[in-house]
Amino acid sequence: MADKSNDPVAMWQNMIGEMEKGFNSFANQTMSSPEFSKVMNQVGGVAAGAQKQLGELMEKYLVSMNLPSRAQMVGMAERLQSIEGQLNDIKAMLTQMSKASGVATAGPSTQMPPRTKRPPSAEGEQK
Amino acid sequence: MNAPTGLDFASISDRVQTEVQRAIQRSIKGVEYFSTSGPTLGSTPKDVLLSRGTLQLYHYRPLADEIYRVPILIVMATTNRGYILDMVPGQSFIEFLLKRGYDVYMMDWTAPKPEEKSLRMEDYVLDFIPDCVRKVQEDSGVEDVTIIGYCFGGVLSLLYGSIFHDGPMKNLICFTTPIDFSEMELFSNFSDRRYFDVDRLIDSTGNMPPELILQSFDMLRPASRAVGQIQLWENIWNDEFVKSYKMFDRWATDILPLAGEYFRTITKDLMWDNKLFNGTMTVGGRPAQLDKIKVPILHAVAEHDHIVPYDAAKHLIKKVGSTDKEEVMLKGGHVSLVAGPNAVRRLWPKLDSWLGGRSI
Repeated sequence: MADKSNDPVAMWQNMIGEMEKGFNSFANQTMSSPEFSKVMNQVGGVAAGAQKQLGELMEKYLVSMNLPSRAQMVGMAERLQSIEGQLNDIKAMLTQMSKASGVATAGPSTQMPPRTKRPPSAEGEQK
Repeated sequence: MNAPTGLDFASISDRVQTEVQRAIQRSIKGVEYFSTSGPTLGSTPKDVLLSRGTLQLYHYRPLADEIYRVPILIVMATTNRGYILDMVPGQSFIEFLLKRGYDVYMMDWTAPKPEEKSLRMEDYVLDFIPDCVRKVQEDSGVEDVTIIGYCFGGVLSLLYGSIFHDGPMKNLICFTTPIDFSEMELFSNFSDRRYFDVDRLIDSTGNMPPELILQSFDMLRPASRAVGQIQLWENIWNDEFVKSYKMFDRWATDILPLAGEYFRTITKDLMWDNKLFNGTMTVGGRPAQLDKIKVPILHAVAEHDHIVPYDAAKHLIKKVGSTDKEEVMLKGGHVSLVAGPNAVRRLWPKLDSWLGGRSI
């Protein structure tokens, strides 16, 4: 096997690794300054404002194209969510009723293995 | 034969040959890389027990003939998808737990919808977690529950445990969980209250956009993504490397938005006022003090964690009121602590040996 100190591929990988560490460390030092935070947040604030305006413009455009508006889609999603919630409630109620009546259901919960497991050391063996 | 310079010409010749073969493979596999999708992630069989907007509660189907009495509820970090704990068979933490005889439930998150921007910390800590704990109790028929929280899921678990300290939580396990937010130096600087107007941001965007969260994660190690691309190109001949790269890259960029009000509280109470560390944190008017937690607790931290540095996590064990408590520092980073070959060898067996005796 080639000596790593003479292996050009290993040297290249090592160099990349060192460059990564050096750059990250330098960047971290720079980003720790309050000046960086100030500039970053000024730029970020402008971008967020622009994003909001763009969103509003898109909404108007969709309405003018006679496409469903975002608010309508959100409304439909809410209705679907509410239906899903009601289905879950009905499912939970049915499970409770079947448990109470002692009738076995087809769900996986009834096929659970016994909760009797002990840790290997307590059983005196290593599994 | 070694030359006087120490160069082994025979091995250099072999190496050149290998590199030429790899260069050819790179061209072939490079095309394949862009034309194929990655492996299917999060495929361990499960049932959805509860779905409430951004919250999903899964119950994984057992893989052992006999299971421990106490079920586990995993609370995933709200910025990330839960499939990091269920990558592919053989590299799935969930599968590992199931095979070792644990009954596993997970609180996973989907992107909060625009209308969920009003979700508050109270909704997560006083409603979502207690609701899921109740569902786990009903489904398993067992009163006790072990809670495992990853990263910010750990913070939510701590808040829950400190408020419901007389509740059904039997054991608590935290992975890389920050409590001293002043020690997360770069995040603190990014959110410096003098320059970061969180109210303006959330009032204009509703939810915290995932792009901004991803950017802030990337900025912690700005060169690493580019270096990752170089490493991918170098190793693209290696199918295992490419599979692993695709899995982790997909997960790392699959960031979730955060509900606006929830993010506002994180920024003001935790990042600015460091209330959890100072013992002044309240959720919905209820004090959340770590010394109220008395249950057995294990905190696993990573030696090279750049997201949650050790200084931000190290006080947790000192602050909780438990007598049965342990911190374990393992080699690896924020993600490799819980997933990948490093986790398979280190964290998972450690967790099993700690939790088995406390799950009966």
